[in-house]
Amino acid sequence: MLTIDAKNVDFYYSDFHALKNINLEVEQNKVVAFIGPSGCGKSTFLRILNRMNDLIPGTRLTGSVLVEGQDIYAPGIHVDELRKKVGMVFQKPNPFPKSIFENVAYGLRVNGVNDKTFIEERVVESIKAAALWDEVKDKLKKSAFALSGGQQQRLCIARALAISPKVLLMDEPASALDPISTAKIEELIYELKKDYTIVIVTHNMQQASRVSDKTAYFYLGELIEYDETTKIFTNPQHISTQNYITGRFG
Amino acid sequence: MRHLEQELVTLRQDIIDMWKLVISQVANSGEAILSFDKELATKVSMREKKVDAYELKIDSECENIIALHQPVAVDLRFVLAVLKINSNLERIADFAYGISRVLITYPSVILDAEIIVDTKLNEMIGQVNKMLSQGLEAFENEKSDMATAIFSEDYIVDEINVNATRIIADYIQKNPDRAFECLHMIAAIRKLERIGDHCSNIAEEIFFYLDAKVLKHSPKK
Repeated sequence: MLTIDAKNVDFYYSDFHALKNINLEVEQNKVVAFIGPSGCGKSTFLRILNRMNDLIPGTRLTGSVLVEGQDIYAPGIHVDELRKKVGMVFQKPNPFPKSIFENVAYGLRVNGVNDKTFIEERVVESIKAAALWDEVKDKLKKSAFALSGGQQQRLCIARALAISPKVLLMDEPASALDPISTAKIEELIYELKKDYTIVIVTHNMQQASRVSDKTAYFYLGELIEYDETTKIFTNPQHISTQNYITGRFG
Repeated sequence: MRHLEQELVTLRQDIIDMWKLVISQVANSGEAILSFDKELATKVSMREKKVDAYELKIDSECENIIALHQPVAVDLRFVLAVLKINSNLERIADFAYGISRVLITYPSVILDAEIIVDTKLNEMIGQVNKMLSQGLEAFENEKSDMATAIFSEDYIVDEINVNATRIIADYIQKNPDRAFECLHMIAAIRKLERIGDHCSNIAEEIFFYLDAKVLKHSPKK
């Protein structure tokens, strides 16, 4: 079953043609990694998947992007509803200046959930799913800023999970973390795919190879190659992909 | 369990399963040639494809682990060792198949009981089986001393091989009408000797994996 289905997507920042005729499908419960040199359009395409580019003046999109069969750019689509379905984790951990508990409960509260028991259960479930429970279970009332960078990033993942999204978008989620925290995030991604569809942008090709089922290589706004990660990293079909993943270019 | 660890566990189980299959291939081909059991020889022949399938599967698993997970230290040594053990096991299985094939190609070949005893063919078959099983035990239990014991076992196989040439040459001089059978026998003995060499190669790989030392091309005594 397809969770994401992008067809003939072109995207412009004013006159700049940032993405050119992108066609890409993501199956349910798969991890897809976007790789490519800076400026290739991979983050732009990720942000298209939950309409994060909408607020940038002068941007324009043509084509269609379906999430669970629904065109997310169709008239009448509520962005708030879309983002309940498509969560996002950013490059740098960005916890709110609140307690650990309240950070995770935030999404539920702003979506009108008042049931205290439900919120408590969901917070615990989400923190456990983010592989953070053992480290924070005794200090849920403490400030989120007291956590390490790696813990803060997992807290942000827990916050995203709390509202039960179908898709989790991750924009270089481990680039600001040390190797141990990075390994924890990577293992977490591997675990989370049982319940979520995950799209990750990464500059770290080894990370893409370790965590993803499929890899998409972008270059100059084009999707050059999209295939099983084992194939991309053992026998890519395009010389441009090979040059990039072998470090000869980019 | 980490993702890489899961892949390593699968790889480990696959090479162990292949190893057990190859042990049975060598044992069956030895028994077939000693008892002129054509049915058993056919069984070895039929199972050869299964060994080949394991080789391809394990090759592919190693390639993917290296390409996708970039293993280091003991994990890297393990994958490299398995890759080479895989090739050695496949060659051993080829030899086992070659030994048993004689009975299928030339069903009338029957070796003289006297020459079997004199050349110690029976002992040689037992010896390579022992080396192969010992290698598996060393690998499974991660005991490098058990692996290094295989080197001295190989000297016994080499000695039987050297003596067999002389014994068979004498036998042919006395029994020129049995030369055809004797040529097949010497071919089987050569194959067993090569199996012994491959067992030694495997022992070197186990030692490399467990103790990070390269024993290749160095005296083993």
